[in-house]
Amino acid sequence: MQKTALRSGMTVNMRQARRRENIAGYLFMAPSLLFFLGFVIFPMVMCLVYSFTSYTMTEFSFAGLANYQRMFQDAIFGKALINTIILVLVSVPITCFFSLWVASIISKMADRTTSFFRCVFYLPVVTGSVAVTVVWKWIFNRYYGVLNYLCMSLGLINRNMNWLGDPSTALWCILTILLTTSVGQPIVLYVSALNNVDQSLVEAASVDGATNLQTFWRIKWPQIMPTTLYILVITTINSFQCFALIQLLTSGGPNHATETIMYYIYYNAFKLQNYGYGSAMGIILALIIAAFSALQFKLAKTDNG
Amino acid sequence: MSENIASIQKRMQRKQANTGGDHSVHQITAYEVAALVVLVIIAILFIFPLYWIITGSFKNAQDVIAKVPVWFPTAPTADNYVRLFARPAVRWLINTVFLCAMSMALTCISASMGGYALAKKKFVGRTVVFSVFVCAMALPKQVILIPLLKEMAFLKLHDTLWAVILPTVGWPFGVFLMKQFSETIPESLLEAARIDGAGEARTFIEIVLPIIKPGIGALAIFTFITAWNDYFLQLIMLNDTNVLTISLGIAKLQSELSNDFGLIMAGAALGSIPIIIIFLLFQKFFTRGITMGAVKG
Amino acid sequence: MKKLLALLLCAIMILPAFAFADETTEISLWTYPIGSWGDPDTVNGIIAKFNEVHPEIKVKVNYLDYASGDDQVTTAIEAKTTPDIVMEGPERLVANWGAAGKMLDISDLWDDAVKADIIAASPAVEAACKNAEGIYYEYPLCMTTHCMVINYNDFEAAGALQYLDEATHTWTTEGFLNALDALEAAGYLPTGVVYCGGQGGDQGTRALVTNLYSGQFTNADHTAYTMDSEENIKALQLLKDLVEAGKLDADPGIVAGDEIALFCNSTLSIGFCWNASAAVSNKASLADDVKVFPMAFPSDDGVPELQGGIWGFGLFDNGDEARAQAAKTFVKFVCDDENQAAASVYASGFFPTRASLGDVYAGTDKAENGEYAIFMPFLGDYYQVTGNWAAQRTEWWNLLQRIFAGGDVAAEVATYCANANK
Repeated sequence: MQKTALRSGMTVNMRQARRRENIAGYLFMAPSLLFFLGFVIFPMVMCLVYSFTSYTMTEFSFAGLANYQRMFQDAIFGKALINTIILVLVSVPITCFFSLWVASIISKMADRTTSFFRCVFYLPVVTGSVAVTVVWKWIFNRYYGVLNYLCMSLGLINRNMNWLGDPSTALWCILTILLTTSVGQPIVLYVSALNNVDQSLVEAASVDGATNLQTFWRIKWPQIMPTTLYILVITTINSFQCFALIQLLTSGGPNHATETIMYYIYYNAFKLQNYGYGSAMGIILALIIAAFSALQFKLAKTDNG
Repeated sequence: MSENIASIQKRMQRKQANTGGDHSVHQITAYEVAALVVLVIIAILFIFPLYWIITGSFKNAQDVIAKVPVWFPTAPTADNYVRLFARPAVRWLINTVFLCAMSMALTCISASMGGYALAKKKFVGRTVVFSVFVCAMALPKQVILIPLLKEMAFLKLHDTLWAVILPTVGWPFGVFLMKQFSETIPESLLEAARIDGAGEARTFIEIVLPIIKPGIGALAIFTFITAWNDYFLQLIMLNDTNVLTISLGIAKLQSELSNDFGLIMAGAALGSIPIIIIFLLFQKFFTRGITMGAVKG
Repeated sequence: MKKLLALLLCAIMILPAFAFADETTEISLWTYPIGSWGDPDTVNGIIAKFNEVHPEIKVKVNYLDYASGDDQVTTAIEAKTTPDIVMEGPERLVANWGAAGKMLDISDLWDDAVKADIIAASPAVEAACKNAEGIYYEYPLCMTTHCMVINYNDFEAAGALQYLDEATHTWTTEGFLNALDALEAAGYLPTGVVYCGGQGGDQGTRALVTNLYSGQFTNADHTAYTMDSEENIKALQLLKDLVEAGKLDADPGIVAGDEIALFCNSTLSIGFCWNASAAVSNKASLADDVKVFPMAFPSDDGVPELQGGIWGFGLFDNGDEARAQAAKTFVKFVCDDENQAAASVYASGFFPTRASLGDVYAGTDKAENGEYAIFMPFLGDYYQVTGNWAAQRTEWWNLLQRIFAGGDVAAEVATYCANANK
């Protein structure tokens, strides 16, 4: 008798508690949901709508899948897609490995030195894209840039190279600048993560006679795995969204050598006023990024168990 | 015998008491020396743009486009800065600071509340909401710019700083980050608070906030820097000279047929020095904060 | 209760003020950096003069730049936040936004006296400011011809001055080729650069190509681009051969602004993008061994047809009659007021579109601007009003890039025409 009374009493309480949770949950979510729905989801839906229309400065009419069909026949879109994927596939691993390597070295140093190096690597991030591009444009300048000056002085090349104007080197120049602006945050993250590795395990390993490399792979790497996956996701998204560099340095040239989907969308929407077509490409790009991210998140979930 | 053990223990304690640094091995190997050299070379590469901007801002018109790189201004002049401030550069700086500070404040408030809710409050539709947030993170901003602009025009907010602040606050990254942090809050504390009869608001303010404070610090700095650098959104939303931000102001200094690089460098210096100083001052707060989230996330 | 009464009293007192406040109209002006019209001090001065006569009209200014200005106007058109007045040229006002139906018909500003005055200065200007149906979308303020520039010192040292006519500042295509040879022989490399990294300064490369063998950029009634004519293809082939022979450079990584920097720091002896305004703004950047000598583009018959630049005002159709009227008042004042007209042109650094104004630089400290007036007789057809102009500009520098990357001239030109003539 008492048992049943207790159980039904708890159920009533639990229902009340659940309702409280729901209300509290949504109340707490309210501010961010408001901004999110209003300024991210709503424009996103509009974008989806526009992608099915023929929307230019002079007309606005329903066009079905015309934009999407056009996209798959557009040679420049294909080139842009390839360039974008090259950028992502090259920059993400290099960023991760480089930042890990740097972090592994500077985390062993005295506090002051670590701080100094950490700041130095973070500098390009805080300097701002406009300022960074102005400097790099000068560095890569064919006639009076410092890169050619140094290379000629050191005898590495015998003619001024046209770094940004040569289709074979332009994309790699963009990639280099992208790397300098990408490694800052991962280095900071890795330094902290390495410092938080359980020291007792490391000492136990060294007592057991493990080499540095073995200690790293068996002990440190698993412990910094969550950081690694976090960095992978963020760097991927940043690489896909690389835009200011290309717009300010090469405008997608020479001959579409540095054309990325992001820039091509901008070009179609703002230069040619093909808003419908631009929106359609945007939707496709969003789907691609979402797919990449979903994959990375799945990996993260399985590792964290 | 016991003294030996005691002294060994003391040595280990002293070692462990040292903050930071990995103290497992300590012989300087050839690899470490080589690595340090490479590191220094690369570090120079990273510092160089800043050096170039600062020296460039003090160069006269001839030096700044000279055929052979002029490493140090031959005739340092403050003329570029004089001309920079003839434009409303100070206004631009104030606009940018206001923009970033507002975005930072609003984001921290809404994201901390939202992140807490997603992590700890088991409400209906919680997974759906979170998935949508995460998917939206992948969305490139350029894509939604035209609809966003129309929305702002409709709200009569275009050409004001709010047109840039509101979309920045809406960006889901903040909520995602705070959710990661909020995961680490021990359930027991929340239970205890509930049993004590504390309301939701009190629980949040007195129990949750202190624990996720480092996360909020990290989010604050991150939002500030991201808002500062968001060139394209500012470009599209802001037109009137008096509401420009510093990055936009500098970009507009470049004209078609002339090369006032000195002015541009001065603008670039003005646009980056403040934020570098802020980063240097708040570095510790920032880096300590990120760790916990990333590692335990 | 007392507080409420006090508040009500205050409100009643303030109310009349609102009634008076409605008398001022506020209009917005967006201007591209045309000479000093990109400088806030200059423009504010002009607005102050305007307000002496018309204090009831307030003018707010937004300064655009050529890199992002078009983007801003485009988005403003979509968001319906366009300004009242925009200052630029017919290729934007008439051929782009006018043709898209976004601009107001300002034929009422073109009374007979003004029309005659403008035609006397240059018939090309009057023709460019209206569309095919005769509706005027632009009210012009100033014009110029785009020319090129050489470093007099380099040419003198290389003995190349004999190949040009110093008195008229012209040369023939043959003279140009000889000059390039002379410069190369004397070691002055690179001579010049055919920049094709973007649309900045494409008036220079267009003029270079069309003048070499007197080709035309478009047909007579401005309905199609004729880069595929025999003369033009010959010209492009010549340039390609020069580049391959090393006598000229081509660079898909730079635009006009970069080329001018290279000229100013004496890397180049020849610059293809120059005009009176460029001379003024780059004066301080010139290296010590650079002596500016403006030249017309080389042509096979020695008579160049230079590209014109026309700048004036256009009004966006914002559906507000009061603001449109105020805007027209402002435009009329700036361009035609007897005390202000010359000053407005002077601020632009270019030449008046009204013959009655004469030489606005005589006796001023910008007197050397008058020097560029010698090119005005060579003003050619203003073809920038041809349809699809904006897209064509992108096709143009892409064409140049493909040609200098080794493409076959005829084939690439065919692609260009196909895309531009859509």
